[in-house]
Amino acid sequence: MMFGVPPLGGLFKPDKKPRLKAVLQTNYDMSSIVPTMRHVRGFDVARPLSIGMLVFMMLPLVFLPLLSIFIFGTNKGLASFWSALTAAEAIFALKLSLVTSFWATVFNVVFGLFAAYVLSRYNFWGRNALIVTISLPTAIPTAVAGVALLMLWGPYGMLGRLLRPHGIEVMFTAGAIVLANIFVTFPLAFGVIKPVFDTMSRSLEEASATIGATRWQTFWHVTLPSLRGAIVSGALLTFARAVGEFGSTIMVSGNLAGRTQTAPLYIFAKFNEGQIEAANAIAIVLALFSFLIFSVLFFARDWLDVD
Amino acid sequence: MRTRTFNRSFAFFATLTALILAGSSCLPKPPSESGGLSITLYGFSIMKEALEKSIYPGFVAKWKQEHGQDVRFTSSFAGSETITNQILQGVPAEVAILSIDRDAQRLKDNGFVTTDWHTFPYQGIINKTPFVILVKGANPKGIHDFPDLAKPGVKLIHPDPVSSGGAQWSVLAIYGSELKKSEAQHGEPDQAHALQTLQAIWKNVFVTPSSAREARTTFELGNGDALVTYELEGLLMKESGKPLEIIMPRATIFSEHPVVVIDRNVPAAKRAVVDAFVQYLWSDDAQAAFVKHHFYSVTNSALNEANKEFGHIEMPFTIEYFGGWQRAYPEVIEQIFKNQVRDRK
Repeated sequence: MMFGVPPLGGLFKPDKKPRLKAVLQTNYDMSSIVPTMRHVRGFDVARPLSIGMLVFMMLPLVFLPLLSIFIFGTNKGLASFWSALTAAEAIFALKLSLVTSFWATVFNVVFGLFAAYVLSRYNFWGRNALIVTISLPTAIPTAVAGVALLMLWGPYGMLGRLLRPHGIEVMFTAGAIVLANIFVTFPLAFGVIKPVFDTMSRSLEEASATIGATRWQTFWHVTLPSLRGAIVSGALLTFARAVGEFGSTIMVSGNLAGRTQTAPLYIFAKFNEGQIEAANAIAIVLALFSFLIFSVLFFARDWLDVD
Repeated sequence: MRTRTFNRSFAFFATLTALILAGSSCLPKPPSESGGLSITLYGFSIMKEALEKSIYPGFVAKWKQEHGQDVRFTSSFAGSETITNQILQGVPAEVAILSIDRDAQRLKDNGFVTTDWHTFPYQGIINKTPFVILVKGANPKGIHDFPDLAKPGVKLIHPDPVSSGGAQWSVLAIYGSELKKSEAQHGEPDQAHALQTLQAIWKNVFVTPSSAREARTTFELGNGDALVTYELEGLLMKESGKPLEIIMPRATIFSEHPVVVIDRNVPAAKRAVVDAFVQYLWSDDAQAAFVKHHFYSVTNSALNEANKEFGHIEMPFTIEYFGGWQRAYPEVIEQIFKNQVRDRK
């Protein structure tokens, strides 16, 4: 019975807006009539219970694993933590991850914007097939993505075989890591931007056109600004996901320390060598980094959507 | 309204452009590609310390002194089968140090290696190390030889023979050890007994990491009761102060590690330095360095005898006991291990 009734009281949190107060007032009246709504008034025991339960459930699943990274990364003292962080190969790995993810993000945001524009503005035969195909990389195991890229661009792959005689080698370079990142994060920016496009009112664009704006001016001054929030969150999402990519990168990069080893590969290599603190030091950086990204994502979105 | 939107979007895109410029300006410049000669080496997992701490610096100094050029090394370490597969997919390896001769053979069969490494000194073998059992602290499970690993309740860590060369050595060590002992006892190797022992031991394996080094890390983190691995791994762990005991089986195999040049990936301009590096591996300096890092030397047995940390082996044997890798792989790893041990219901 305790969880039989959803804790409505939590939903209607006290707000400065008078409209909500009115709603609360209505509930107050109703709760004295309907016995099952009594919890809406005054102290609701389900509130602390469910919050406590949520935190308790997250403890072994999220909080403790993260905590153990911090403990194991720093248990040999801050000095050794710092020297693990500032090792030349570690810094290179972090830099490589950031730069390759950055370019993958730039590409996927521009592409996602374009794809969302085309797929929500024009209706054509095969449109749904295209939408499904764009979303596919989320469902494909990243190792498969790595193998697929290797079979295409690898020195003995379908296209790579033809490019090799011309001195063009795509795999086992930073470019290969960018390609892998693009593949695995392909649908993320698109997935965020497309729904905004779909629900966008076209009246502003039409108004813009009637006062003589060109197609490009309308896009630049009217369409794009209203997509700001979606673009930023799509970009951050893509970036965060790309920085952590492992399965495909280990296949296409060659995993050479100081040359093609990204931060997750570095963590894996250090773990395998038994250098647990060194692995955890970089893991801490990545964990803090994603925390930062998702905080920005959470707060900046509201700010950007206000217009 | 219009100007405000314009300013906002302008500011937004100006920031974005600035970010792009910032991003492109810090495109990673590999420290290993800033001029000079570079050698790319892929090695099986346990080669890392010896190479990075002694062999690379030794060769760099030697080449600098003789030719006045700087040499840089870039390397990647993983299970022997893993790096062989990576090379077959086209990673830019110029030299590979493998755990097992069969992997070198695979590279040759696919045209990556054209120089026969068997024509190098010591048939291309640069160092060796026997296979041992590692147990925790005071050996609570009472493990003294391979058959003890089959005791009920023993949790054994064993690398995966699919990706690790060391794991294949380990299978050969266990199987060969039982053959060798039964041969000493009855005058003839008892294959049925050796197979049964291997099957019983394999039942106690609860995790198969992808390389010998990964298996050691798993063990070091406190998992399992025992690990079959290179003696050198046990000595390295002792060196770092871990409480463990190295159990030397009565009969065990010496793993022998070949070096190959990936001829297909070596440009003519680099041939001299690559060849010089490979030859350097049998120099007195390099062999002494291997012993310092707990490998057995192949050129100088006096070095091995002087090293008191090496355990005594009653009945050592090598891959020749099985008739070389060309017979050991199909007959033991495939026929015995894969068909009758691993895939057995």
